[in-house]
Amino acid sequence: MPPNRLRPRTRAVLLVLPALVPVVAVVGAALASAALLSLGLAPLVGEPQLSLDAYRGAAGDLGTGIGLSLGIAAAATLVATVVGLCLALAATAAVRRSRLLGALAALTIPIPHLVGAAAIGLLLADAGFLSRLLGVDPSSWPPLVGGPLWVAVVAEYAWKESAFVALVVAGVLSSRAASYGETAALLGAGRWARLRHVTLPLAAPALGATAAVSFVYTLGSYEVAALLGRAHPEPLPVLAYRLFTSIDLAARPQAAAVALTTAGLALVVVLLSLRALRRLAAER
Amino acid sequence: MNGSELRLTGLTRVHGTGSAPALADFSLEVPAGACMAILGPSGSGKSTVLRLTAGLDEPTAGSVHLDGADLAGVLPERRGMAMVFQRPLLFPHLSVRDNVAFADRVRGVPRRTARRRAEEFLGLVQLDGFGDRPARALSGGQEQRVALARALAAEPRVLLLDEPFSALDARLREEMHELLADLRMRLDPTILLVTHDHAEAGALADGVAVLDRGRLLQAGPMRELYARPASLAVSRLLGGRTEVAGMVRSGVHRSPLGALALPRKVPDGPAVLVVRHEAVQVTTAADPAADAVGTVVRARRRGMRTLVTVEVPGDGGTAAVDAELEPGQEVPTGRTVGLRLPVEGRWVVPVDGVAVEPVAGAPRA
Repeated sequence: MPPNRLRPRTRAVLLVLPALVPVVAVVGAALASAALLSLGLAPLVGEPQLSLDAYRGAAGDLGTGIGLSLGIAAAATLVATVVGLCLALAATAAVRRSRLLGALAALTIPIPHLVGAAAIGLLLADAGFLSRLLGVDPSSWPPLVGGPLWVAVVAEYAWKESAFVALVVAGVLSSRAASYGETAALLGAGRWARLRHVTLPLAAPALGATAAVSFVYTLGSYEVAALLGRAHPEPLPVLAYRLFTSIDLAARPQAAAVALTTAGLALVVVLLSLRALRRLAAER
Repeated sequence: MNGSELRLTGLTRVHGTGSAPALADFSLEVPAGACMAILGPSGSGKSTVLRLTAGLDEPTAGSVHLDGADLAGVLPERRGMAMVFQRPLLFPHLSVRDNVAFADRVRGVPRRTARRRAEEFLGLVQLDGFGDRPARALSGGQEQRVALARALAAEPRVLLLDEPFSALDARLREEMHELLADLRMRLDPTILLVTHDHAEAGALADGVAVLDRGRLLQAGPMRELYARPASLAVSRLLGGRTEVAGMVRSGVHRSPLGALALPRKVPDGPAVLVVRHEAVQVTTAADPAADAVGTVVRARRRGMRTLVTVEVPGDGGTAAVDAELEPGQEVPTGRTVGLRLPVEGRWVVPVDGVAVEPVAGAPRA
């Protein structure tokens, strides 16, 4: 084989390298150093020694943090998926196609989460815009911000992610839903039958993918939970950040352990959803 | 499955104020069990007729009647019409069998029964054993056959076909034509077919309505339209090639071709003689029965036959006549030949721009 003719596989690997190297360097190095730190192999002082002390030390907070983070991510993703799907359906409906709705949904996307969190805080706090608008006394306003149900946090993530879900799903539906919908209608399918048998199955892969992305993002995102959540218990990213910036340097390995656990959870979710999506694709 | 009688009356569709209507005052009757073709170039409004019939679009004026019942305001899913589009549009998330079973499933037929019936319809389109395949694992021709089976399985009162075979290659198209003819014999559906191909309309339909720029030009049995087009536009859309301008006086058309007697009485005045190239016979220049003598200026091969253009010099200019040779007959360019124009094959149409009498009545299908 002449030297300038690379095998397709080698060629593909070479083409991917420029993207692969930074990812491996940044993410891989960060994860590796966090792993070493959490396992006691890179202590700030003293001899390196393999131990699970950091995991044991953080175990209590880690347990509640996992439950809380999964709960927030699941609730926000569920709301975002439902709202996003409805927005996408409304924006692409053959009858009343709404450009305005699509534009409003898309406008949400460039707003940073931090700004969104501040806005939600101003809106939902006990002395916030909504309570004043409704004329409710702050003392009888439900604790939406910093309350036990994390309503403001879930609301902010759901609001932002629903726009993302709507954008992607509307993109998929706008190119295909109308013609398939007409075909189905002429085969006798009414509105609900078309939604159930045609539109939802067509939207399912995009919906599944965006749900997975938004779940994983919410799981690992810090600022909204820190700003709108309560001080205790803490979701995983907030916990990791507090431990990492603690004046107690011994807490650093624990921070690494929490970060690593978060990354592991996200990886499991990504793998599971990839498998589900592949099965969905194989069916069609 | 037995088709219903479809009647379109005065259908008009204007898309925006001020713009030319996509369809203007279109009327057509399709008897139960008949196949009518709507023939026209792209943009002539022929697909609009189907969309208005199916209820996918609302007419600005006019009505659609099915077995005498007005369908105004009836949703597409309740009209009992199925449509096959140019693209097969098989549902990508369903298997071939479930695609065909779709209509039964949304009607509430149990899955097992629906699938069994789907297999029967797949058999009808000669796709037995393809049921388990995913919809995308088929070739173009197979996909279109599944689309046809899916539409037939809905047992429509009228089957609407929107250029369903135009994306297929010639051999597959031929196969689909045979299949459709076979299905018509077995199931007797009422069919409204849209096409831009006059050969397809001729092969499939009992009658044809010619549409151009949203207006119905002529409707009737295909043979009649070939032989007696109402206008130059109809003649051209049906593939007519020979047009010789001249003057009609007492039943005789005078032109560079000479004085040619017409088969029917027509009013005196300027008129264009049209003759189908299939009807013209090419003989020797010395043939006493030849109506005109001219020179072959062009020859084009068309499979077994050759199409020649013959220029005939005469009073006031030259006339060009196209003729299709017999299979195997060869005439080189430059040779002088005689042309026989059978009286039954002659027909005159008004000169373009001269007012045409509107085409009356519904076609005989």
